[in-house]
Amino acid sequence: MAILVIAEHNNVALAAATLNTVAAAQQIGGDIHLLVAGNGCGALSETAAQVAGVSKVLLADNAAFAHQLPENLAPLVAELVCGTSPAAYSHVLAAATTTGKNVLPRVAALLDVDQISEIVKVESPDTFQRPIYAGNAIATVQSSASVKVITVRSTGFDAVAGEGGSAVIEAIAAGTDAGISAFVGEELAKSERPELTAAKVVISGGRGMQNGDNFQLLYQLADKLGAAVGASRAAVDAGFVPNDLQVGQTGKIVAPQLYIAVGISGAIQHLAGMKDSKVIVAINKDEEAPIFQVADYGLVGDLFDAVPELAGAING
Amino acid sequence: MLAALTGFAQGTFASRVEVAGDQVNVTREIDGGLQTVALKLPAIVTTDLRLNEPRYASLPNIMKAKKKPLDVLTPDALGVSTASTVKILKVEAPAARSAGIKVKSVAELVEKLKNEAKVI
Ligand SMILES: Cc1cc2nc3c(=O)[nH]c(=O)nc-3n(C[C@H](O)[C@H](O)[C@H](O)COP(=O)(O)OP(=O)(O)OC[C@H]3O[C@@H](n4cnc5c(N)ncnc54)[C@H](O)[C@@H]3O)c2cc1C
Repeated sequence: MAILVIAEHNNVALAAATLNTVAAAQQIGGDIHLLVAGNGCGALSETAAQVAGVSKVLLADNAAFAHQLPENLAPLVAELVCGTSPAAYSHVLAAATTTGKNVLPRVAALLDVDQISEIVKVESPDTFQRPIYAGNAIATVQSSASVKVITVRSTGFDAVAGEGGSAVIEAIAAGTDAGISAFVGEELAKSERPELTAAKVVISGGRGMQNGDNFQLLYQLADKLGAAVGASRAAVDAGFVPNDLQVGQTGKIVAPQLYIAVGISGAIQHLAGMKDSKVIVAINKDEEAPIFQVADYGLVGDLFDAVPELAGAING
Repeated sequence: MLAALTGFAQGTFASRVEVAGDQVNVTREIDGGLQTVALKLPAIVTTDLRLNEPRYASLPNIMKAKKKPLDVLTPDALGVSTASTVKILKVEAPAARSAGIKVKSVAELVEKLKNEAKVI
């Protein structure tokens, strides 16, 4: 049977996590259909058709889907899955992002099945691995649900190529506004740097940075390394940086090639968001800080000396 | 899921909630920043830690609460099934990370990152 992947996008471009989600679908095995539900997203559907491994793009272009509000999108997905008998899809997948986590539980409830959340590995079409207790244990779970509704943690799967595929595009005439929710506005962070969850190098600052201005030190280093900048919850709560920079259990999950933690103590909730990074560097003046227990390279010292020195050394 | 079953609107990851007449404006913490949606009431809102300071129960209120009637409902009486379709086959510790080394200087760190880890 076929697998339905819900594309995440802003009507113009696909979110990177969609490519990791398609990779998970490939491991499950079967025809992969990508649902592009949006408004004015015709051109985007052509981009989506090039995603490797996708056989069909379902294009639902309607004002009701402009912001992928779950009240409007979930009924469409449920209808696509179960509108026919037998059901058209064995699996429904979305990225475990704030968008996927907003829509998919609503889909699962409409389909009357349990959701399987944040899988990091596919063992077979009905058996998956997922982290529990904030990543302190990995559970292998088997689902007997008629349709498996799954969110995918992108760090568990290498992205498929965004080009090279040649899926057919099928426009579906659907979309009603449930009339119970409306988009009011959004404030999106603009940054020239790579996106946190997709960056190869991430430099995060914690409470040790002392204030927002001092984050300039990290931005300067980041620009030399082509890195994204993240933060601990303490740094966000203190107002140093906006919340979308937060890494951890209640922030973003990252797994870059290199993670540099600066002035971060290494609380378990922070580690939950970055301990799958390939190489971890910690800079902290407290040699007892727990971050050193997970760091490949630890530098005990004052960050206000070490970070500029590091930036200088990388230049040369 | 509750919102789907009741047919209510939903506002997840809420960091700000403002009720205005028969609707509620919910500001949500999303991956790219903040998003505000207007939901018709009744609606289901799930919160982010940053939403507010929790109000702790005072001792007199805890005493008062003890006298409140307590209705006990069971899934059977409500006619709902709580059977799960998910079975846990096993639970393992994740691959452990061991502490690496402490470098003595920034120069040594750069050298290791370049030549040993090969990440810069
Ligand atoms: C339910 C829940 C969810 C949470 N989710 C998250 C989450 O998603 N992400 C997250 O990060 N946290 C999360 N937390 C918070 C977490 O428990 C910690 O409070 C937080 O991570 C601490 O941030 P920190 O390391 O920046 O601050 P601190 O613990 O205060 O550490 C600051 C560090 O900086 C060092 N330092 C200070 N000055 C210097 C200097 N000049 N040079 C070098 N080093 C210096 C200090 O030695 C210290 O180790 C959560 C907590 C709860 C309860």
